[in-house]
Amino acid sequence: MPQVMVVARNFMDMVAALPAAKLDMLYDSAFICEAVLRSLPPLAKKYALQMLYVSAPVAAAAMEEWVLDEYAAKHRVAIDRLLQLRVFVEVRDRRKEVSYKMNQKFQGNMQKYLVDGGSLPREPIPSSVTARLPTLAELESFALEQWECFLLQLINSSQVERGTSFSSSMMRTFQRGLLSSRDGEAPRLTENGFQFLLMETNAQLWYIMREYISSAEERGVDPTELISFLLELSFHTLGEAYSLNTLTDVQRNAIRDLAELGLVKLQQGRKDSWFIPTKLATNLSASLSDSSSNKEGFVVVETNFRMYAYSTSRLHCEILRLFSRVEYQLPNLIVGSITKESLYGAFENGITAEQIISFLQQNAHPRVADKIPAVPENVTDQIRLWETDRNRVDMTLSHLYEDFPSKDMFDQCCDYARDHGCLLWEDAKKMRLIVRVEFHSEMREFLRRLR
Amino acid sequence: MASSKLYSDDVSLAVVVVDTNPLFWATAALPFADFFAHLIHYVNSLLLLNHLNHVVVIAAGLSSCTYIFDSSDASASGAADVAATFAKASRKMDEFIAEDARATSSNGSVADGNAASLLSGALSLALCYIQRVFRSGTRHPQPRILCLQGSPDGPEQYVAVMNSIFSAQRSMVPIDSCIVGTQDSAFLQQASYITGGVYLKPQELNGLFQYLAAVFATDLHSRTFLRLPKTLGVDFRASCFCHKKTIDMGYVCSVCLSIFCKYHKKCSTCGSEFNRVMPDLNSVPDQRQ
Repeated sequence: MPQVMVVARNFMDMVAALPAAKLDMLYDSAFICEAVLRSLPPLAKKYALQMLYVSAPVAAAAMEEWVLDEYAAKHRVAIDRLLQLRVFVEVRDRRKEVSYKMNQKFQGNMQKYLVDGGSLPREPIPSSVTARLPTLAELESFALEQWECFLLQLINSSQVERGTSFSSSMMRTFQRGLLSSRDGEAPRLTENGFQFLLMETNAQLWYIMREYISSAEERGVDPTELISFLLELSFHTLGEAYSLNTLTDVQRNAIRDLAELGLVKLQQGRKDSWFIPTKLATNLSASLSDSSSNKEGFVVVETNFRMYAYSTSRLHCEILRLFSRVEYQLPNLIVGSITKESLYGAFENGITAEQIISFLQQNAHPRVADKIPAVPENVTDQIRLWETDRNRVDMTLSHLYEDFPSKDMFDQCCDYARDHGCLLWEDAKKMRLIVRVEFHSEMREFLRRLR
Repeated sequence: MASSKLYSDDVSLAVVVVDTNPLFWATAALPFADFFAHLIHYVNSLLLLNHLNHVVVIAAGLSSCTYIFDSSDASASGAADVAATFAKASRKMDEFIAEDARATSSNGSVADGNAASLLSGALSLALCYIQRVFRSGTRHPQPRILCLQGSPDGPEQYVAVMNSIFSAQRSMVPIDSCIVGTQDSAFLQQASYITGGVYLKPQELNGLFQYLAAVFATDLHSRTFLRLPKTLGVDFRASCFCHKKTIDMGYVCSVCLSIFCKYHKKCSTCGSEFNRVMPDLNSVPDQRQ
C-alpha cells in the first residue's frame, strides 16, 4: 500500500502556488518578506542576501560561477525556489539570454528592514485600557491547554468530553484528511490522522493552517488575505494585547478560529476587545524552515523495551498509547512497554516504524537526548523488524492458468497479461502463469479468440 | 549525532571582533560612524536569515576588550527591533571607547601612531564564548569568528595570537578576516589560512556591507558549495620572543620551539642551555696510555 506522507507538501509550496500578482501583493509587507526569506534553503538565502543591494539583472551564467561545478544541482534547486516564490524574477534580453533580477518590492522592503528596522504590524493597546493581562506563563498554559484539547478531540472524537466543541469551520478543517466521517458512524482517525499526531508541534500547526487556508475558498474567503495575516501574526509581540478593531472581517473570523487552537487568547474589556498572541503564534514564521523547536523532551526508552514518560499531559499518554502498552499513569509519570502487539496496532493504523522512532528521538528526555543513540539501538532495530515482519507477506487476489496446449499459446498469453500490467508470475518450463483476478475475464476472452 | 540533525544546516553563531583603535580610525578612509552602520546592517542580516542565528560583537581597543552586543540578550522578536539594537550597541560602543581611552592614558604609555589594537585579547574572549556554547550541549549553532581589522599587527602579541589561532583550529572554529586598513595583516592571514576561514581585503570600503553580505554572511554549511575568495599569499613570518619584532630568519629552541633573533646561551622560555661543551675525544687514548 503506498505511504501517503502528511508532511510531503509544506506551507511554502502553497505560497509558491499563488498567482504572480497575489504574490507581489503579499510582498507589500516586510514581515512576509522576512518569513519567506527564512523559509528558503541555505544557498538561496545567501543568494537573496547577496542580491539585496544589486538593482541590475545578473546573468544566469554569471550566477552559476558562484558555485563549484560539482554543486550545480544545489545551485539549480536554490534558483528554482527563488523563482517559484518570485523573490527572483527572470529577465530575457534581446539575445534571449536569461538574467535574474530581485523582486523590487521584496528588495525594497528588505533593504528598509535592514537599515531602519520594521515597524510592528500593529501597535499594542496601552496597559491603561487592558488593565491586567495574563502573564507569559499563564499564556503558555492556555495555549498548551487549547492545543492539547484540539488534539485530544481528534483522538477521542467519538466521545465529546468537557463540553468543548469546535466551530463548524474548524471541524471541516479536521475532516479534510484527518477524520473520516461516514453516515451513521462515529468519526474515526484516518491514516493521515494517526501520522499527524506523531508529527512535531510546529509541523502540526502548519498542516492545520494549510488545510484551513485550502478550505478558505469554499467559504468564499481569499486565501491570499489569510496567508498574509497568518505570516504577519507571527511577528506580533508575545503577550501584548492588540485590538480587534484593527482587523478586517476576514481577519476577525480567522482570529476566533485561531483562538480555539490556542494561537491567540481573546479578551473582552468594557468597550474594547483584543487578542493576545501566544507562543504558538509567534513560532509560526520561525518554523517555516525545517528548524527544530527547542521543546524539551519527556520520554526515556530502556533497552528492555520499558518506556518512562515524565509528563503530566493526558495528550502525551494518549499519543504513547497509539504504539505502546501504557501500564501505569501516575500524576507526573507514564510507564509503558513497547510490545509487538501494540506496534502491530499502530502499523495497522498506518503509522510507520520510522515515524515512531522519530517521535521517540525528538521527544527524548534531556538526560538521554545527548546520548548516542537517544533511543537504544536494539529497540529501534526491533521496531523496524516487527514492521518488516508484517510486510513480509503481501496478498493479492489472483488467478492461476495451466495446461496450455502449446508453447506458442502460453507465450502469447504471457505477453498479453504483461502488456496490461497484470502478470504476477510465470513458469515457462511448466507453462503456468498467474494474473490478477480482475484480469480473468479479459484473459478468457483472449483465450477464446486464440482457439 | 541524530539529535544534531534537528538543527537545520545553516544555524550559525557569528562572533564579530571589531577593531576600535582610535589612532587608526582618526585617519581611516571610511569614517567610523559609517563603518559602524555597515556592521549593524551586517549583524541584522545574519539575524534575519535564521531565527536561531546568534551574533556576538566584541570590541577590541588599545588596552581592553569587551562584549558590546549579544543577540541572545535581545527580545523574543529579535531583528524586528532593529532601531533599538542599533541604539543600544552604539551606546555601548561609545562607552567602551571612552573607557578604553581612560585605560590607555592611565597606563602611562604614550601610544604612537602605529599602536596595535588588542587582537589577542579579543580572540580569547571570542573563543571563551564559543567554548561556553560548546559545553551547553550537542545542539548548538555552528560557530565562526569574523575579525574586522584596521590597525597594523602588534608583534608583541604574536605568541598570544598564535595560541588563539591554534585553539580555534583545534575547536574547528574558522577565523574570517576582513581588512579595513591599508596594510595586510600577517597575523590574520595566518589565522584564516590555518583555521580554514576566508581572508579578504576589500577594494572599496564604501561597499563594505556588500563584501560582508556576499562573503562573510555565508553559513559554514553553504561554504562547501561556493567559490569564495582565496588568499594569494600568506605572510608566515614570526615575531622573536626576546624583542617582539617580526623576523625573517632566527634561532629556534629545540626544546620549546621559542623563536629568537639572536643567539642566546640559554633559552629564556624553558631554561635550556645551548652552550654545553662536548667531551674531547682526543683525551681518551691518552688516559689509556
